[in-house]
Amino acid sequence: MARTEQQSNEKFGGRWFWRYASPATFYPVAGMIEKLCWVAAIVLAAIGLYIGFFVAPTEATQGEVYRVIYIHVPAAWMAMVIYLAMAFWAATGLVLGTRLSFMMSHALAPTGAIMAVVALITGSLWGRPTWGTYWVWDARLTSTLILFFLYVGYMALVAAFDDKKKGDRASALIALVGAINVPIIYFSVNWWNSLHQGSSVRPGSSSMASTMLTAMMVMTFAFWAYCIAASMYRLRTEIIERERNAAWLPAAVKEASK
Amino acid sequence: MSLRSATGAVFRRELQLFAKRKSDWANPLVFFLIVCALFPFAVGSESERLKLIGIGVIFVGALLAAMLSLPRLFDEDARDGSLELMLTSTEPLAALILARVAALSLALGVALAAVTPVFALFYALPFDVAGMLAISVLMAVPTLLLIGAIAAALLVSARGGAILTAVLVLPLTVPTLIFGAGAALKVLYGESPMAELALQAAFMLLALALCPLAAAAALKISTD
Repeated sequence: MARTEQQSNEKFGGRWFWRYASPATFYPVAGMIEKLCWVAAIVLAAIGLYIGFFVAPTEATQGEVYRVIYIHVPAAWMAMVIYLAMAFWAATGLVLGTRLSFMMSHALAPTGAIMAVVALITGSLWGRPTWGTYWVWDARLTSTLILFFLYVGYMALVAAFDDKKKGDRASALIALVGAINVPIIYFSVNWWNSLHQGSSVRPGSSSMASTMLTAMMVMTFAFWAYCIAASMYRLRTEIIERERNAAWLPAAVKEASK
Repeated sequence: MSLRSATGAVFRRELQLFAKRKSDWANPLVFFLIVCALFPFAVGSESERLKLIGIGVIFVGALLAAMLSLPRLFDEDARDGSLELMLTSTEPLAALILARVAALSLALGVALAAVTPVFALFYALPFDVAGMLAISVLMAVPTLLLIGAIAAALLVSARGGAILTAVLVLPLTVPTLIFGAGAALKVLYGESPMAELALQAAFMLLALALCPLAAAAALKISTD
């Protein structure tokens, strides 16, 4: 099933999308996407934070502290979405043998891990005033923590191989194993939690004011834009690092830095 | 050579090696014993308190002991060349890996499960709980080794392989841990542990179906 990049080249060589599997073609495209997304992230975050902090009403039971959701919830979503994206590119890389897919997968991992950490830290800062403690073994907190462990394992595995090609395929396999396990872990932890603990305060169970929802949606798009920009930046760095001997690289870098 | 005789040979060889080299099964057991003996020093020796943490400590101890045996799945074979023979065999690699893991699970699982009830007495656990804990350990070891085989295969003779194997595998053992220890907890509270046992069996079957294939792919990647 798995092809080498050469074999895939022969099969898909003429198709329009195949051009973008080449680091040389994608490098400037990534630069463009990165610039657009930085702008979008900054603008959307400014709007979202303004609505969230100044327009949205104070929450009835939690007071001002609830406003951390504008950071917390998008970060938690991104932590999950990025793992899926990472696994998707890992699978693509394994099947087609395209090295750019593996690089994309590597570039996504640190951003995903950061999102998990942001979700955990903001969650505990929120938990202190509302639950009275920084940490509870709540199902969602716990599965985010395990998701963070999976990211760390993936990155450690990438770093463990001197042979980049081997590291690419090895880490891709672990990303897929993790992707199969994430739902199993999520439901196990859910059940475990409900067995051992009384119901904890569930954030966001009440219906939200529409400005709150608007702020959260805008912040979610801001986080999407940030994550895409950050991973494109990391992807470009990785391309430069790996293709440092390629003839096209100096001109492309010069072009991009103009 | 048919598939059956090939897997049979791998299975028997693994068991014979296990029987010959006493350190292979003695060291994990001693490790398990020491881990279980350390906790009372740290948390205090009142039997009520020990009873509460006992199940968790013993289960995690067994998990770590099985974890430590993972490098022996492929590392030594890679050094003495028998791994190359497995890779060049015409039989499906996944079946050969399954035979290896099955032999290791049988030997290690039985050994760990056999001492579990004894350790349960350290923690003042009643006999029925100790028995259920032994069954849980026996069921958890194959699942753990099957998942672990993927990581062990990826990291054959890699630097820092042992610790990285643990980092990769331990988060994936959470479901097994929840329902393995959960079964014994249910018995402690006087309830039926059947749901937990069924789920544990389900995880084992799922691992049995998927992990050998993934481990075979992993071995091909790392020895490429």
